[in-house]
Amino acid sequence: MTHSTDLKFLVVDDFSTMRRIVRGLLKEMGCSNVEEAEDGVVALARLKAQSFDFVISDINMPNMTGFDLLKAIKADAALKHLPVLMVTAEARKEDIILAAQSGAAGYIVKPFTKATLEDKVQKIMLKLAATA
Amino acid sequence: MSSYQALNDMTTKEVVAPPSASPEVFQQLGQITRQLHDTLTELGVMPQLRNAAEGLPDARSRLNFIVRKTGEAAETVLNSVDQAKLEHTRIVDTTRAIAESILADPVRAVASGSLMNFVCEVEAATQRIDAHLTDIMLAQDFHDLTGQIIAKVVALAGQLEDSLVKLLLQAAPAEQPGRLEANLLNGPVIDPEGGNDVVTNQGEVDDLLESLGF
Repeated sequence: MTHSTDLKFLVVDDFSTMRRIVRGLLKEMGCSNVEEAEDGVVALARLKAQSFDFVISDINMPNMTGFDLLKAIKADAALKHLPVLMVTAEARKEDIILAAQSGAAGYIVKPFTKATLEDKVQKIMLKLAATA
Repeated sequence: MSSYQALNDMTTKEVVAPPSASPEVFQQLGQITRQLHDTLTELGVMPQLRNAAEGLPDARSRLNFIVRKTGEAAETVLNSVDQAKLEHTRIVDTTRAIAESILADPVRAVASGSLMNFVCEVEAATQRIDAHLTDIMLAQDFHDLTGQIIAKVVALAGQLEDSLVKLLLQAAPAEQPGRLEANLLNGPVIDPEGGNDVVTNQGEVDDLLESLGF
């Protein structure tokens, strides 16, 4: 099984503060291989140029939303295996359902705690390991 | 001349002496109001104005949320800093005490367990300080949340402004409307959030996803 500490993360959020927070929390979880993208367009370019293991994405972003990024990832044969964890302030049930139906591996509403992020990342990795 | 200057000129000209309260004036005012209402309805301004007005209580609650969120963040940061500084002071005091006991009698300091106790205390204190630093880091999430809300309120203010400008254009003398730049009228569209169909915490998100089999 791949430990989350070995994974390469891509954190996508238009707010640099939130990217730093998620990066900091991942580092506390022992995951130091983290890159950032400020929107879906930049994220998609990074995903196609480099190899990543895990995507953590906001939804409400300029240029390309998290939903569009999620759909683009799931529509790409080379990327669709990637787990995408949505971390967003969007708390509407329809958004949560849409994210799940679009292939999101998890959904976290802001504000969140370190324990929540850690729990979701671990559960997603366990699920992936079980299905592999 | 800027559009705002033109708007100022226009509104200045609108300020005239109040009419006498004769029935003819009220009748004329009624006709103008009806004409204005019909014109505004045809232009689609009224629904926009109504939407903007309906959004105002929500804008107030959003701004109150910002006040609350930034207040909570400040409180969290200050409390965590106080706690971390307290831990730091304890480490400094303990370090001084252990240094004195080592200087006085190094063998006894080790044999009595004082040195080992000190090491354990420092380790525990640094873990607590690290937790405080994490709390400070997490408290910064207000920037993201309040930033999104401010953007929505600014969009709402823009919509309201556009509606009012259109209203002024219709109320102005016939020769005035063309003086305003067209781009002043292009307002953002507000996407109002649903009321009851939202979750309030992570537990509700998990329950919802679980109920759907995810």
